[in-house]
Amino acid sequence: MPRISTRKGGVSATKKGKRVILKKRPKKISLKSARRQHRLKATPAVIQEIPMTQAMVDRLFWRAGFGPTAEARSAFTGKKSAEAVDWLLDSPQGALQGPAPTNGVNALDIFGERGNDDLVTEWIDRMVRSPNPLPERMRLFWHGHWANSREDVSPAQLMKKQNDVLGKYSDLAANPNADFATMSYEMATDPAMLRYLTGETNVRGRPNENYAREIMELFVLGVVDGNGKPNYTEQDVKELAKAFSGWRVRNDSTDNGANAMLAEGYFTPSRWDAGVKTLSWGKSGAFKDREATEAVLAHPNQPFYVTRKLWDYFVPTAPTADVHAQLVKTYVSSGFKIKPVVRQILLSAELFASIDEPTMIKPPAVYVAGALRATKAAIIDTDPVNSMMRMGQRPYYPPTVAGWEGGISWLNTNTVLERYGFIGRVVGKMPDLTDQPTETPQAAFDRAFGATASPWVSAASKANLLDLANRAPARTAAQRKNRQVVLRTLLLAGPDAQVM
Amino acid sequence: MTDETYGSNYGSDADTEAANVLKCADCARSDSLVEGLDPVDHIPLTTEALAGFPDGVPTSTGANRRQFLATGVLGMASVYAASKIDWQQAMEAAVAEGAVADTNKLVIIYLNGGNDGLNMFVPTGTAFADYTAKRAGIGRANGVNVVDAANAITKLGTVPIPGNPELSFAMPIVGGPSAMNVANGGRNGHAANLGIDTLWTAGNVALFPAADFTPSNQSHFEARDFWFAGLLKQSVTGWVGRWLDRYGSDANPLQAISLDSSISKQIRTVKAPVAAVGSLTGINFGLQNVPTTDINLNAEMAKLAAVATGAGNDQLGRSRSIYDLTVKVSNSLGGLNGQDAIGQNPHGYPQGALGDRLRRAAVLLGAGLGTRVVTIDWGGFDTHGGQLASQDPQLRTLSASIAAFQSDLNARGIGDSTMTLVFSEFGRKIAENDGAGTDHGSGGAMMLVGNPVLGGVAGDVPIANGAMLTDPNDRANLMVATDFRQVYKQILADWLGGDPNAIIPDAQPAFARADGLPARITKV
Repeated sequence: MPRISTRKGGVSATKKGKRVILKKRPKKISLKSARRQHRLKATPAVIQEIPMTQAMVDRLFWRAGFGPTAEARSAFTGKKSAEAVDWLLDSPQGALQGPAPTNGVNALDIFGERGNDDLVTEWIDRMVRSPNPLPERMRLFWHGHWANSREDVSPAQLMKKQNDVLGKYSDLAANPNADFATMSYEMATDPAMLRYLTGETNVRGRPNENYAREIMELFVLGVVDGNGKPNYTEQDVKELAKAFSGWRVRNDSTDNGANAMLAEGYFTPSRWDAGVKTLSWGKSGAFKDREATEAVLAHPNQPFYVTRKLWDYFVPTAPTADVHAQLVKTYVSSGFKIKPVVRQILLSAELFASIDEPTMIKPPAVYVAGALRATKAAIIDTDPVNSMMRMGQRPYYPPTVAGWEGGISWLNTNTVLERYGFIGRVVGKMPDLTDQPTETPQAAFDRAFGATASPWVSAASKANLLDLANRAPARTAAQRKNRQVVLRTLLLAGPDAQVM
Repeated sequence: MTDETYGSNYGSDADTEAANVLKCADCARSDSLVEGLDPVDHIPLTTEALAGFPDGVPTSTGANRRQFLATGVLGMASVYAASKIDWQQAMEAAVAEGAVADTNKLVIIYLNGGNDGLNMFVPTGTAFADYTAKRAGIGRANGVNVVDAANAITKLGTVPIPGNPELSFAMPIVGGPSAMNVANGGRNGHAANLGIDTLWTAGNVALFPAADFTPSNQSHFEARDFWFAGLLKQSVTGWVGRWLDRYGSDANPLQAISLDSSISKQIRTVKAPVAAVGSLTGINFGLQNVPTTDINLNAEMAKLAAVATGAGNDQLGRSRSIYDLTVKVSNSLGGLNGQDAIGQNPHGYPQGALGDRLRRAAVLLGAGLGTRVVTIDWGGFDTHGGQLASQDPQLRTLSASIAAFQSDLNARGIGDSTMTLVFSEFGRKIAENDGAGTDHGSGGAMMLVGNPVLGGVAGDVPIANGAMLTDPNDRANLMVATDFRQVYKQILADWLGGDPNAIIPDAQPAFARADGLPARITKV
């Protein structure tokens, strides 16, 4: 069984001055650790044959979307998970539902004066209002994978254009045959990528190693295999850098003009190093970007990397060696297609592990979009954008080329309070806080629970909240409103609400 | 700075705002700070550190930056040192020093601009006629408030300082006329809002009514630099800085903190690292319009965070533990910035810059990070005109803030190990000017406050033969009755420790107290 590398394992992300050394050693997959990782719950492997409970529907729609809708619950509870998974994979993203957001006064103007905020808001809005949430959830994954930041990419059109490209590999109903190899060819000369990793300056005789390093370290191959053995050498970086030379960005408009959307990478033969490049895993030739990418994709450890990274996006525990091998098999035999791999992950028993007690912290984008979906709250000006920045995930602005670290790093006292404050603002503006003078504490709780789309809350927490509903003063209309606001806020912003 | 109203006279912003009303050309505040010196580093003040590590100090081995930052950051400390300081070593040094219990701590409040002591501690004894003659417009009344109908003013009254026949507190201290009505609920309408006078009654205030140096210097710049240096000349190092260089830590920049954008010249060192902390973020789970008395959200959140998590569910466990930590920290810090959303202000800090910074000082001193000295520069005392409208609210805030601070320190268990020094670069002319203000003078009020302080009128009162004594170099000025360096030396001898003569080489007469108490500044 080949050992696999993980994104976190010994990664050093280089991008200009940003170098993040992650000291965590690569996870090694062994039977022992696999058993430990799976002590959470023994779930039947034939999960897709079992009728789903509502908790399972909720789990699937959080992990593959931004939380369950009432429609999803009613459509898929009692159905086999394959039905829901295939709906997610085969349905079009659909026209955005409900009113479009404004930037407070006007419609969004994503390349206008307030462009950066509106650009981000426009994407968050897609997460919130898409009938099928999986395409945007996938796009968020790819954005964290091919992590380029608006911080270093101008004009903004290049980022939007890249977001559109990522969409081709995210909307798997429209692009069922989308494959990672084609994506890799395309990203190598994506204008935002050329700009972010300064590929524009990679010229024959003056190589720029940025992209050559990252395609192996972060994008396609991974630093080391499962045994901690390096997948490539520094010489490979130098060789690949020569192959990727010669590209620049056309329509280098920095005036935010409409033409900027036409920007594209273009190749200048005279800037390209035409010499023979030799890689340590036996590939050799007068590679250009396409052949160089092919060579990296042909590395024997390549299939283990992206399949594992996709798995980690949906499931917080490591796959067993067998499960991972199955994913790799599906990936390789399909010709590196994305859809069958995602399908296999979403159908896995591990996705539903510990079904009564969720195990994965919601990334800020999922948390924010999920709360807005659950409360049907309109996006209010730039609140979500600014808040997500303080929560540690501002779309279009990943912190480094390695994307977001995720997992437990999402939560600290600052980010927890930011999540809480955001929900407080959303709840405070909910329209249905009308006073019900004779409402019992139980009814107040039930109303709050319903208004927040019946989120997961542990039995003990629910008992605490019911107790609070009983204790909270309710003599005046203001007090009754506060009781309602507090219950809703705690349901959506308490510790239980952070996991999916 | 002169005519600023209460609450806005803080920091450089206020200086800029007030620039057009300055009557004094050289009142810039910023030069009390070390400018043009860049910090060598910025150390994150983590949530855990400021909460006093409620879950225990992270072990030094293996504690990498991310682990240390994992709980969140409440502020940044700008570090000033001879060479770059590794943040982790700094934190480890801070924690190690903080583990030494009950080290003596000093808080220094510098009243920037030249505080008028005569309207704070009023000569209502034998020199009252002299005082009234020279301050017909802005002088205080002896005893109850006096309404001067002809001039349409109310002269604020005074209350005798226990144990001293010559001086009285300006209406304790310094309430506006209406606020003094006890029937109104006491000072500032807030029964719990005690002041310097009550600390005095408890025996915890030592007063030096006319502290300065001779010959006095009426330049803000030079006078404050001398005070900061503890020398009658300008110096690269501050007097506290020299003490730190000699007796302090060579690794813990948090040993001396200026609550400002840069470090005070007082703590400027040659080699010992020191820090400036501009702001700290207060935290809590408050919600707008939800009174804590109805629903205490911190308490409710604590219950939700205490729910047990299934074995192996690390991420939900993380969520609950971080919520729990946030509650703990919130309870530990209290509302750091003014009265917060859920009304946490149990010690009655007045709103505004001084109260906020003293709160921060209490948090930092109580956090167990080896902090020995905190400096605060609080402006607005250059009262060339309209003095009553500007100085009185300042003094009221000062008095109430110090009392709140003392209460906070006591609650944190560090009241007995903390002493507060209050001073200004000079006093003001004895006689008022034509603008209902006072010009630069000499012999300002200097105070030591705190449980360990041996209270009383420790410094000589410059009054004799029914008149205020004047400065032989300028008869319009008050006589300098106490050399400030003597007090510094006594602080070093009795409180901070070390050889006073090594820190302040200028020879001084032996310290003696005017109130006949033992020649100390501390009770024991």
